[in-house]
Parts: sequence; structure tokens; C-alpha cells
Amino acid sequence: MEVESFIRDRQPHWSRLERLLEEVEAAPERELGPDRLMELLRLYRRACSDLNEARSYTANPTLLGRLNDITGRGYRFVYRRPTAEGVGPALRRLIEREVPRAFRRRRREVLLAAAALTLGALVGLLAVLADRQNGERLVPTAFYTESPRDRVARIEKGEERIDDVEKALHFGVSLYTHNIQVSFLAFALGALTILGGAWLLFYNGVILGAVAGMYVLDGVTGFFLAWVGPHGALEIPAIVFGGAAGLMTGRALLLPGDRSRGSAVREAFPDAWRMMAGAALILVLAGLVEGSFSQFSSKTFPTSLKIGVAVILFGALVSYLFLRREPGEPVR
Amino acid sequence: MSDRDRRVLTPEHVEIRLVPAGPGSRFLALTVDSMFALALSGLLYRLLVPSLPFGLGFAVWATANFVLGWGYHVYFESLHRGQSPGKRLLGLRVVDARGLPLTVEQSFVRNVLRVLDMAPVFYGVGAAALAVDRHRRRLGDVAADTLVVRDSRTYPEASTVGRSPQFNSLRVPRVIRAIRHRIGLEERELLLTLCLRAPTLQPQTRFDLFEEVAAHYRRKLELPELTLSGENLVRGLTAVLFWDLRAAGTRAAQRI
Repeated sequence: MEVESFIRDRQPHWSRLERLLEEVEAAPERELGPDRLMELLRLYRRACSDLNEARSYTANPTLLGRLNDITGRGYRFVYRRPTAEGVGPALRRLIEREVPRAFRRRRREVLLAAAALTLGALVGLLAVLADRQNGERLVPTAFYTESPRDRVARIEKGEERIDDVEKALHFGVSLYTHNIQVSFLAFALGALTILGGAWLLFYNGVILGAVAGMYVLDGVTGFFLAWVGPHGALEIPAIVFGGAAGLMTGRALLLPGDRSRGSAVREAFPDAWRMMAGAALILVLAGLVEGSFSQFSSKTFPTSLKIGVAVILFGALVSYLFLRREPGEPVR
Repeated sequence: MSDRDRRVLTPEHVEIRLVPAGPGSRFLALTVDSMFALALSGLLYRLLVPSLPFGLGFAVWATANFVLGWGYHVYFESLHRGQSPGKRLLGLRVVDARGLPLTVEQSFVRNVLRVLDMAPVFYGVGAAALAVDRHRRRLGDVAADTLVVRDSRTYPEASTVGRSPQFNSLRVPRVIRAIRHRIGLEERELLLTLCLRAPTLQPQTRFDLFEEVAAHYRRKLELPELTLSGENLVRGLTAVLFWDLRAAGTRAAQRI
């Protein structure tokens, strides 16, 4: 093959293909029109065979580099996943159908993550009930400033901490941004190490259990439930969901089994992403509740009301995610 | 071809090479992106906070800022063919390891795992991963099965072959004249190809092949008995062709 004449011969086709690719890359949504689309396809196939041909005759880096570039770009365009809809409808579909569906499909992982947290909570609770001193050892000192009895007395006597919308909003936003980051961390640790994610869930459970244990010992269980319940009913599951998505990804990444790692993670990703999106939305709601409703003492909202709200929120969450069955979905 | 390149076989049975980007350009792109996001966040603060009542402005801004922080890269990577403004500036692109555009989910995963790559400071973990990994991927890339590639038009070896050695005993007027008149375009391609592919040959084959080719050119160019090994002679010849005679010798290459 004479390289010079090969280039002279094919050059116009490559340039044309480049122009078409630039066009589709600049405005991916715009239809190119069937004619030019077919032309692009034809030129892409031709560039493919040119690349193969050139490779067997020459190693000229400039020539091969250019062909490699246009073939790669063509490949990315020709074999891309079609984008069918805009952001709005996609978001709606995500919340309405895809998020609950992902949770129903991944029930087992969610239960596993919930088990890790519950186990931690039991360990923490029992450790404190067995010996009060354990509470001070387990709960980080930053959170342990006064005994639960004193705290309850102070809060019930004093003014309400949150007395206007602005404070509630600021507090709520800082809470949910922080909590979403925690769920991201749980996800990341789970995805890369599995054990790290499970440990994070377990450890958070221990702290929760230990704190609960101390309130129980001081005889203020009702206050604890009313204080933590309304937002905890959403927040704790959301952290569990982040962890579950992480464990699922970690399993695909580290223990792909018979499949290739690439295909295992690609199979896990769509559900993991939907579960994380669900967790983030739940945390926004939880943060807003925690910033306002949870902060009121029994002077404003009776304990029973707050516990009732907690139960309702948790029930609503479970039924949104797990109880609905779509037509045609197999009964488990 | 570099060991770091990722090879992808298309359904047309053509092998495409993806050239991974190095840590320097990636860090630079990241810096540009961070500054861009920071400026955007500042602008939003100026616009939102004074204009909404009841502290709503701050709440909306804090939320927007959060979304910006986590969603910036996801937005650009999934909707702008793997290029954030910083990456576009530096000629980088995030792609699926199979050479396709990356999906929203992949982009999400690689960016959530950023929290680990960023640790402890200045992407320490990510830089360590980049140094160890064959395809220069940070942890997020490994998990999401993605790759940051250079949008380049030449193979990286181009620079190493074209360079002429400082001392080249073939670079004397008589030999250069002979080379110019007696070596055709096709032979030039052949010599270049031989030099480029030499590292992939088995040692014995490589030696034999270079000796054979060298013997041919010793005769053809009527070279005095140069005390050069076959490979050195061929490489010297190629260097003269592609470096010293650039203007005349690589018309083909320049026209591509």
C-alpha cells in the first residue's frame, strides 16, 4: 500500500466524518436528519476499516492517531444509549416508580444493612443497661454534655429553642446537607470495602443504642422517643439505605462471581443510584422535620402526638417504598 | 503503544485506543472547575440571599450550594459528553471504560467516591491510586468503571521517535544526499514502522530483522563500513529521515 495515495484517497471522507461528528457533539439533542445520519454511519464504518488497514501497513503516529480519534468519537456516538426524555419527566418517573421499584428489588440488601444497624443498637443499649459507665465510654464526649435527666428538665422548663421560621430553616438545611454527606460516606465506604460500610452502620447503631439506654436508665424514655422519633423515623432508614446501596455496589465490585467486574457493577449501578437518590430526598424531609417539629418540647406538642407523627411517617415511608405492588409485578 | 492505553474492540472489530490522562492535567482541570463552581456559588449568594424573605434566601442558597458541590461534575459528565469546563479546557474527557459515553449512574458513583479520593488532603488517596493503577484511575473511576482520557489526535510515542539523537554518524552531507535521493516514501514508512514496533518484537527476531534491514541499506546507500549495530544504523537513518529531512520527508505526515 502506498501511504501517500491512501491518505490522498481517504482524506475527504475523514474530514466529512469529522464535520458530522462535530455537529452531533455540539447539539446532541438535535436531530441530524435521517440522510446525514446514514451518511455518518457509512463514513464511520469506512473509517473503521481504514484504521484497520492503516494499522497493518504503517505505524505512522499522526495518521493512526487521527484515525483512532475519529473512530473513537464515532463509536461513542453510534453505540451510545439513547436519551429519550427531558430532565423533568425523568425526575418524576424516578420518584414515582423507579425509586420504590429499586427498593423492592433490593429488599435483601436493605434488610442486611438494617440488621447491621439494629445489631449495633442492641449492643449499645444492652451495654449501657448492664453498666451505666459504658454509656460515657461509648458516646463521643462532644455529644455527652449533661445527663439525660438534667437535659430534659432544662428543655422542658426553658423557652422553646426554635421560635421562628428562619432558625428552623437554617437548622434544617444544615442538618440535611450534613446527613446526605454522611449517607454518601456510608455508600462510598461500603462500595469500596464492604466491611467499612457495615462497620459504619454498626457503629452508628451502637451510639444510638447507648444514648437510648441512658435515657431509659434515667426514666425519660418517652421524651427520647418524642425528641428523636419524628425525624429519626426517616433519617435512620435513609442512612441504612445509603449503606445498603454501598454494600450492593461493593459486592458487585469486589465479589463479582462468574461475571466480569465491569458487567457486575453496571448491573448494580442503576439501583444503587436510585436508592441513593431516594435516601437523599428522604433526608431533606427528615432534616426539615428535625429542624422544626422535633425541637419543640411537650409544652407545645404533647409527647404522644410527636410519637404518633413518628409512627405515621415511618409507616408512610415503608408503604411508599415497599408495600405498593405494580400491575404485573410478581408476588414475593 | 503505551502499556497504559486501554484497548476497546468495537463491534466492527476495530481496536480503538483510549489514552489515559496524567495527574497533572487532571489536577489542573479540577482547579479550574473548583474555581468556576466557587464563582457560581458566590453569584448565587449575591442573587438569592437578599431577594427572598424569612431567611428563605439563605436556605435556598445553602441547598443550591450543596447541589452544586455534588452535582456539578455529574451534570457536566452525563449531559456534556464527559467534559466539565475545566476538562474541556485541558482536552480531557471522562468515558466509560468500554469507550462509550458514561451514564448518569456511573458519573454519580465516581463523584460520590470523590469523598474518599480527596482524603486526607489535596486528593492524596486519588493521586496514590493514579500512580498505582495501570490506566491511571482514581478510586471513583475504578468503582464506576470509567476512565479519564486525553482527547488527542496523536499517539504519545510520536514525540519519542521523531527526536534525532544528538550524535548521529549518518548526519553528514554525503549520506544525507544519498538518503534523500534513494529512499522512497514507502520505505520511509517501513523504517518508521520498524522502529515503532521494535519494542514488541522478541529479542532474537528484533536483532535479526534490524541486521537484515541494515545490511540492505548499507549496500543501497554505499555506506562506508560504519561500526554500528544494525538497530543503531536503522534508527539513525530513520532519525535523519523524520527529523533532519522533515520538510521533505514527512509531507505525508504533515498533510494528515
